[in-house]
Amino acid sequence: MPVYSINVNGKSRQVDVDADTPLLWVLRDTLDLVGTKFGCGIAQCGACTVHLNGNAVRSCSLPVSTIGDNEITTIEGLSENGDHPVQSAWREHDVPQCGYCQAGQMMNAAAFLSRNSNPSDEDIENAMHGNICRCATYNKIKAAVKTAATNM
Amino acid sequence: MSNQLTTNRRTFLKLSGTAGGGLILGFNLYGCATLPSDPLFTALEINAFILINGDGTAIIRAKNPDIGQGVKTSLPMILAEELDLPWEKVIVEQAELDSRMGSQFAGGSTGVKTNYDNLRKAGAAVRDVLVRAAANQWNVPITEIKTEDGFVISGRKKLHYGHLAEAAAQLEVNENPPLKDPQDFKIIGKSKSDVDLQKIVTGQPLFGLDQEIDGMVYATVLKPDVFGAKLRSFDATEALKIEGIIDVFEIEGMDNPTRMVDGVAIVADKLWTAFKAKKLVKANWSNPRGYIASNRQLMADFKKGINAKGEVLREDGNVDSEFRSNNNQIEATYDVPFVSHSQMEPMNFIADVRENEIDLTGPTQTPGSAAGLANMITGIPRENIKVKFTRIGGGFGRRLGNDYASEAVFISHKLKRPVKLVWNRENDFLGDYYRPAGCYHFKAAMEGSKLTALDVNICTTSRYLYRGSSPAHGTEAFPDQQPAGMVPNFRIAYTPLLTNIPVGALRTPGMNATTFAYQCFMDELAQNAGKDPIDFQLEMIGEEDRDMPYSDHGGPSYNTTRLRGVINRVRQESGWDQPAKDGVSRGFAGQMVFGTYVACVVDVRNANGKIKVDQVHIAADCGRVINPIGAEAQIQGGVTDAISAALYESLELDRGKPKAQNFDQYQKLRMKDSPDVHVHLTDSNEQPQGLGEPSYPILFPALVNAVSRSIGKRVRELPLKKHGLV
Repeated sequence: MPVYSINVNGKSRQVDVDADTPLLWVLRDTLDLVGTKFGCGIAQCGACTVHLNGNAVRSCSLPVSTIGDNEITTIEGLSENGDHPVQSAWREHDVPQCGYCQAGQMMNAAAFLSRNSNPSDEDIENAMHGNICRCATYNKIKAAVKTAATNM
Repeated sequence: MSNQLTTNRRTFLKLSGTAGGGLILGFNLYGCATLPSDPLFTALEINAFILINGDGTAIIRAKNPDIGQGVKTSLPMILAEELDLPWEKVIVEQAELDSRMGSQFAGGSTGVKTNYDNLRKAGAAVRDVLVRAAANQWNVPITEIKTEDGFVISGRKKLHYGHLAEAAAQLEVNENPPLKDPQDFKIIGKSKSDVDLQKIVTGQPLFGLDQEIDGMVYATVLKPDVFGAKLRSFDATEALKIEGIIDVFEIEGMDNPTRMVDGVAIVADKLWTAFKAKKLVKANWSNPRGYIASNRQLMADFKKGINAKGEVLREDGNVDSEFRSNNNQIEATYDVPFVSHSQMEPMNFIADVRENEIDLTGPTQTPGSAAGLANMITGIPRENIKVKFTRIGGGFGRRLGNDYASEAVFISHKLKRPVKLVWNRENDFLGDYYRPAGCYHFKAAMEGSKLTALDVNICTTSRYLYRGSSPAHGTEAFPDQQPAGMVPNFRIAYTPLLTNIPVGALRTPGMNATTFAYQCFMDELAQNAGKDPIDFQLEMIGEEDRDMPYSDHGGPSYNTTRLRGVINRVRQESGWDQPAKDGVSRGFAGQMVFGTYVACVVDVRNANGKIKVDQVHIAADCGRVINPIGAEAQIQGGVTDAISAALYESLELDRGKPKAQNFDQYQKLRMKDSPDVHVHLTDSNEQPQGLGEPSYPILFPALVNAVSRSIGKRVRELPLKKHGLV
């Protein structure tokens, strides 16, 4: 199997996996970064969202061979001390129920807010459209995104 | 645990024999506001639920699986309250399967209601031994001792729990310790964030899918795309050529299809390799005889069912005679579809089956039953089977069954090595146990605005029948459901339909369908009589304070004053009696669900025939609320979950195969269609009830009643998507 060198959370990591292995499984099963979740495998639910050069992408549908030297950030690397404004807002609003989708929600919100720090309700709804919360915590997610926006 | 305990006790005794000796007298601590920074010991177990640390903090075990309903927070809150330890000094740990804890499961919204009294006692019993230990040491009567902020205090003497734990652990536990006056509660009734919040927002391993054990390999399964098909043969030649593949073999289903069904196991050194190889396995399946090929066929079977003479479950007065003498009759038939659980965390489980021992780790709502199945599959005795259960990425009833845990056990048993089994999303849709589909026929007779006779005929697929339990109507028809007992002539009959489609429990099993049908029909009757729907139901409920006998879950009775209470509350909070905003139509429903009273008003807008849910008001009386922020979240989540099901969700079949096998085809509600949900909780001192489920069923009729009003036509079939309304 080929060895890929990828940049994850500011560190260069060598991974020995098949070329078509989605980044999701490299993160979870090779690098033990299990905060990024598996939901659908076809980029429909958003549970696997990570940042690629600061943009939200679905890691379940991104083969490791296509990553090159782009910078990957996962929930574990979103902030050093768990104090990114999005993480703080999620805590303030006690957003999670089961919590499984929330890493993807937060990564998506963080990327979106880095480009639009004063979003309207409609902006938030459009930006968060790709992330399913099966527990349906949408009221709280929306409130937390608004709170985070004021602290970005 | 026992090793750790021994070590800890020894450490403690050693320390208390030296530096600790002075502390135990208590004098040194007087006026000392801070705790010692170095804990003397950790995790001294006083009872199954509470372990005291040397620094005066405590580890509290959360006994039940948390599927997002918040019991990992709320049940320890009850213990901490009676232990009288500030929440900041509590460290919550997930319990393992432990027979001392009583039943450990997540289902039926029972976590708080069935554990409240016992956990109060368990917490109070630990406080009681700490107090008695202090009384012994200080030689003062118990009546002169109090606890406050995690300290035991008598006059100028003051010790924290860590100082008294060892002595307390030697005392006999009082089975009926003194309990707090609820007026003195400091934790119960105050909002506490989820105990795993920090771990969730930083992506720490919490869920089943995040776990691993030494030496494990990965497995996934190939399933038939017609439910209940049996494996004839398979060809794994191509799959076995893939680098990293370890084995491919048959999984033999068990006789009871809720325990394990036929499949092909694909085992590899990496999960991705197993997923890839699965696509190369060719399997031949034989479809079950008489399988349901299409939704049209299913509907025809239901129509036959409701016209059959069903088993009469309750009969009051004489329905037939009333129908003969009263021509003011109304009939309607309601249909509900199969609905997928589609919980976010796909099925997974870790099994390590050894010579005569098994370790299981994974997300299950019923860990005891997982152990039972492992015993059945391997013959290894129950006492040698350990189960660690994890935080669960959504349950909704799907993980009450342990078919996927069975598969992990089966595979590990065969391979003789530890295995982590993971399904993909397509497996989830092909391997789900769907919310039973059903058909509900009503015939009513009215005198003015008074309902004089109601005849209910129900035909559903039955999860009890499917899993081999009885009676078949079990969680499908509820003979005492409102308005039973409020109508002089009443009859309910039930006919089960057994199909190949797997059915199981989904959030308020059965009641999520019957409540839709009953409460929509009540709305039809009100409209027909020209009455306001809330007035119509209030008049039927009556002004008397009555305890209505109720033989199902949530019984033995429900109270009409509490029911009226939530109805009046939602009426007021939603502004029901003021004119609706332009373009808004409203719908109402109210009922007791699993012991909790719920009433709901939904506002919808109609834009060129497409429905937009504007907002929801819901009032709930669940007795005493343990954790208000969690309670509100459950109610919001239940309502919004139901909106998703009502708008979009149904199992659609094409030649027996589910058309939707992932979220590209199976639509779930997303943020833009999720309305504001306003929750109005009753401030109550009644015995606490559950909240994970009751808000779910009441949304369906409230929403559909609003929709029917909005489009000027009755909608009697879910989901609304089928009618072009979304």
